[in-house]
Amino acid sequence: MSETSHGADRRRLSGHSIVRSRHFRYLLAAAVIGLLPLVFTTSYWRTNLILCAINVMLAIGLDFVLGYAGQLNLGQSAFYGIGAYASTLLVTKLGIPFWAAFALGTVMAGAAGALLSLFAVRLRGHYLAIASLGFAVITYQILLNWISLTQGPLGIYAIPPPPPIALPWLPRIPFTNLANFFYLTASLALIVYFLLDQMLRSPIGETLAAIREDEISAASLGINAPKWKAFAFAASSAVAGAAGCFYAPFVGTLVPDAFFVTESFAILAMVIVGGMGTLIGPAFGAIFITLLPEVLRSIGDLRLILYGASVTLVVLFMPGGIMQAWRLVRQRLFFFAEESAT
Amino acid sequence: MISIVLQQGINGIVIGSLYVLVALGLTLIYGVLVQINFAHADIVTLGAFAAYATTHFFGESYVVGIAAALIAGAALGWLVNATIFSPLRERGSELLPLIATIGVSIMLQNAMLALLGPIPYAFDTPYSNHVLRLGGLFLTVQNMLIIVVSSASIILLYGFMRFTFLGKALRAVAQDRETAGLLGINSNQLIMLTFVIASALAGMSGALLGPVLVLTPFAGTSVIVKAFAIVIIGGFGNIEGTIIAGLLVGFIESFTTQFLDPGLIDIVVFALLLLTLAVRPTGLIADKREENV
Repeated sequence: MSETSHGADRRRLSGHSIVRSRHFRYLLAAAVIGLLPLVFTTSYWRTNLILCAINVMLAIGLDFVLGYAGQLNLGQSAFYGIGAYASTLLVTKLGIPFWAAFALGTVMAGAAGALLSLFAVRLRGHYLAIASLGFAVITYQILLNWISLTQGPLGIYAIPPPPPIALPWLPRIPFTNLANFFYLTASLALIVYFLLDQMLRSPIGETLAAIREDEISAASLGINAPKWKAFAFAASSAVAGAAGCFYAPFVGTLVPDAFFVTESFAILAMVIVGGMGTLIGPAFGAIFITLLPEVLRSIGDLRLILYGASVTLVVLFMPGGIMQAWRLVRQRLFFFAEESAT
Repeated sequence: MISIVLQQGINGIVIGSLYVLVALGLTLIYGVLVQINFAHADIVTLGAFAAYATTHFFGESYVVGIAAALIAGAALGWLVNATIFSPLRERGSELLPLIATIGVSIMLQNAMLALLGPIPYAFDTPYSNHVLRLGGLFLTVQNMLIIVVSSASIILLYGFMRFTFLGKALRAVAQDRETAGLLGINSNQLIMLTFVIASALAGMSGALLGPVLVLTPFAGTSVIVKAFAIVIIGGFGNIEGTIIAGLLVGFIESFTTQFLDPGLIDIVVFALLLLTLAVRPTGLIADKREENV
């Protein structure tokens, strides 16, 4: 059945067609992104919004390789760091324009991901988890110890914001203020989301799912599993690298500790809490995990304990995460609505 | 030069035997359950703090502190299995328990951080400053104690697994849980026993590592990351391989510190890990376990 007739069927079945269409949802997301900085005007909240946008990218990037291709990758902090350091060093040491450095940083992170996928070809499950963890540890130690390049634990300071964009017929858009920087990162997150979504709706999505469910059966259908694993790793790590390219000019300083392996665990928590294997779930998971400590700030040190507890409790009682909770709520609500209608 | 090599060899054995204790716990659990316990790191940390509290608050001797750490570790291991691994076993996912224990680890680290603060504790034992001279070599009594206690535990564990009925039953569960069940072995009890033994070892190694480490709530993380490398290099679930790989990592650590740069330790260890995975993924000592490679 082709995609269009399938979509048409769904639209006929469900009563409210406009709300359920994808175009409407993208427009809605764009509208929400447009409104957010107008609602949250303090720099504290705008900073958190930018962090949310960066973390959404990291989470959906990891979900692509973890939730769809089924590869447990704990090395995401390394690709995030490679993107951040590569783009920053290209700008500060070689004077390359930001957007070229952004492209190169993304490509380099993607290439590192393809390199790690060489291990994913031979290893599965826990072995891959530890191999990717090892990759993250090595990358962190290189960032920490290659002092002539990265300045090690001293860090790189005064990283300039991206240069203003001058589009024809429009005023120059500078990125020195937080609202514009948020628009920049959030639009990129939305574009990344759109691209991943398109890919997953294409036959690529089914190919990755086949590898996830049973690699041998997939191979018997003529799927070149090593090639597609490499592709999933490269795409996922390129997204993390792109997020890193924006993290550096956003924070303005780079220290290796931002890319310690615990960052991989945080990204994993976003995917799990949101709901692995859906794209929208990890996006909400990222927002939830980013804002949870801020909302809980009044209870002080206990907030990080709650953060760990939320990951454990989700796995134990709601392994589908926020998406599973939402489906349950919706079922109850619709059930209630049908009851009251009859 | 010879004396430097010998001295660093001793240091390597000291730190390596502690890593073996931690890694053996991971490998035992992996052997019976094919699961990774990320909270193992925090059992090490808890053991270190339990020993610290026993010696510095209650004024007991260091040996009592080691015993307290052993009990604290065993208790936490029991709790982790009862609350996380046991309920998740029926779901049969290899991913979910791993992630749940990452959550437990974050929780425990921050609970300890809230209680104990981020400033490193100075863990002095009466044996740290007592130096023995063996020819041109130096060995603190603390290091001697570490070597004696850890090799005794390793030998005991090895003998237990090889020769006792319970040890044989444990290996039977590791090989085939269903068949072991048919033979009347209660695998749930034995899995719990494995957790308790593994965590008691981790707690005890925490007590022994306490004076060596920078003792903060995050101390266990640096140890566990190396322990993961050790279990992979040695072959997951393989006791002999783990012992050899643990000592190897201890030597790498002491000789890298002496001849290269302490900052390179992790890079060398994990380069070896990735090399092992690329060349010989079943570990140094080949085993029949091949489901992950």
